[in-house]
Amino acid sequence: MTIKHSILAGLAGLVAGLAVVGSASEASAQEIQITGPLAGAKAVRRLRLHRDRRFDIAPHATFTLLDEFRRHALFGARVNYHFTDWFGAGLWGAGGISYNTGLADELQTKAVDNRNCAANPDTLACKRTAVSLCRGSECLGNSQLGSIVWMVAPQATFVPFRGKFSLFGQAFMDADISLFVGPAILGINERAECAKGTCANPAAFALESRVTATATFGLGFNFYPTDYISFGAEFRGTPTTWNTSGFDIAGEAGNTPDDAIDSNDRSFHFNPMVSIFASFQLPTEIEVSD
Amino acid sequence: MRKNQAGVGLSVALALLLAPLDSFAQEKKGAAKAEEAAEESAESAADSSEGGEAGGEAGGEESGSGSLEELCKIDPENCVKVDMDAASKRDIDADMYAVQQIWALRAKRFEINPYVGVTMNDQFVAHPGPGIGLNYYFLHWLAGGVNANVYAGMNSESNFNFETSRAARVGQPITEYQWNANANVTFVPAYGKFAAFSNFIFHYDFYFTLGAGAVSTRPIAVVDPDNRTFAFSVKPTFGGAMGIRIFFTRYLAAMLEVRDYIFWEDLENPSIATGFNSAGRPLAQDPSTWLAGDSSFTNNVQAQLGLSVFLPFSWSYVQAK
Repeated sequence: MTIKHSILAGLAGLVAGLAVVGSASEASAQEIQITGPLAGAKAVRRLRLHRDRRFDIAPHATFTLLDEFRRHALFGARVNYHFTDWFGAGLWGAGGISYNTGLADELQTKAVDNRNCAANPDTLACKRTAVSLCRGSECLGNSQLGSIVWMVAPQATFVPFRGKFSLFGQAFMDADISLFVGPAILGINERAECAKGTCANPAAFALESRVTATATFGLGFNFYPTDYISFGAEFRGTPTTWNTSGFDIAGEAGNTPDDAIDSNDRSFHFNPMVSIFASFQLPTEIEVSD
Repeated sequence: MRKNQAGVGLSVALALLLAPLDSFAQEKKGAAKAEEAAEESAESAADSSEGGEAGGEAGGEESGSGSLEELCKIDPENCVKVDMDAASKRDIDADMYAVQQIWALRAKRFEINPYVGVTMNDQFVAHPGPGIGLNYYFLHWLAGGVNANVYAGMNSESNFNFETSRAARVGQPITEYQWNANANVTFVPAYGKFAAFSNFIFHYDFYFTLGAGAVSTRPIAVVDPDNRTFAFSVKPTFGGAMGIRIFFTRYLAAMLEVRDYIFWEDLENPSIATGFNSAGRPLAQDPSTWLAGDSSFTNNVQAQLGLSVFLPFSWSYVQAK
């Protein structure tokens, strides 16, 4: 067993030990039975129902995280109707722009511009990268790096956690945590497929639109400064396979390049993204629970 | 395989931790502790106040000395001796605080915080590793302390690094970490509570940390591994973090933190020196030619997931509810 595994095993043991200690000491406290007027009382009373039978319209700005070659800034809106305070359904949509990461710019400079393979096609580096690297100024972003162009997601929203928080025990605000899940339809720009023997041709470096379906899910933190305006942030994952680099990285036989660009060159990406939003609840009047 | 087993073990242990602790919260059906139920009374009063109504508080007062006696029989040690007649004639400050009596008080307590860190922004080499933080809370919202991470033996190059290097024939300078240690100041501006499924309540806080310390790293030889072998060297580091803690009990919480450790990193020289030095040795074997000229400004952004244990386990409030 390596040091890494020993440490992980030790940490697992620590967590398990704390679990046992924690559960044993508190379980006995729960044996006290309430016989007074609080017996059977609700955990929370007079709760402001920010979602119950209300529409929630939220323009948002969304930014992708952990991008390899292209960063995305997507803008759109979310429209939900909440059948109860804890369940709603609606639509999330966004479209936007993408731009090179630092790594993509570095590749453009070192592997494309500095090599100048258009003028030096017979060098070893140029021969070996003929299928995977375009030639020309800013060609990576324009002709081979993949990007997300738009996304639409019908989604169900669950609100299991509802509460409030205080800042230094003074200012306070209602808050909730929501979970959402649903199918997603993604519009992607990706390097066009090409068959073996044709991919080194400059014409083979071109972007092609593709629409793919997958699932999306995540959680949101929502804060309610007033009865009809809220703001917050959402973290969303939209796992799918796509070719972010335009490289030839695999073939039918596995992870060996085959001089073709096709679906074998797509790899799994979780596509994490963060949205910030302001939300408006309609109708503006709010109900209060018992 | 072993890595998977360790991961499964950790997941099972976390599940073991979380499953029974759900029931700690303030359940209905009279099963909750008297203290927690009383807090709920305050909660409903606060909610009433927020909603512009005072019914909750009035209801609580009307329960009278009868219910107080019953509560005192159950828990005589914490029984509050109140002259109800005198108390009923006092001037009432109608202001209600968002959180009436803080359930998980941090002031003058130590925090022991074991965690596992995972790299968030290095696509070429992952730097996972365990860490531990030790803090002392001078005030409920202010703490000082230290933390340390161990990475040695756990740095792992990614498939992405291999695939990109192979496809573009570009060697990306990569590094591995050995350890880091920091002195920190932690601020806890926000504290609150959530009702889960309107059935039980858990408490949480948000915190920010600023820190400075040292990190030990070295480049991994990629360009000329035949000649180059790098030793670890220590550099100064600084950075900040933001995180959330969710309390299962008054002394045990789960925490999730995102921390940025910032430092200037030495990278491998992408060029191999040619020629010979005055002693006749190839310059490629001269360690002074192995590093790139400039240090690289590096952000090691790390997600840290772990537990917080507060000591002492219990305390007494200065004022009654």
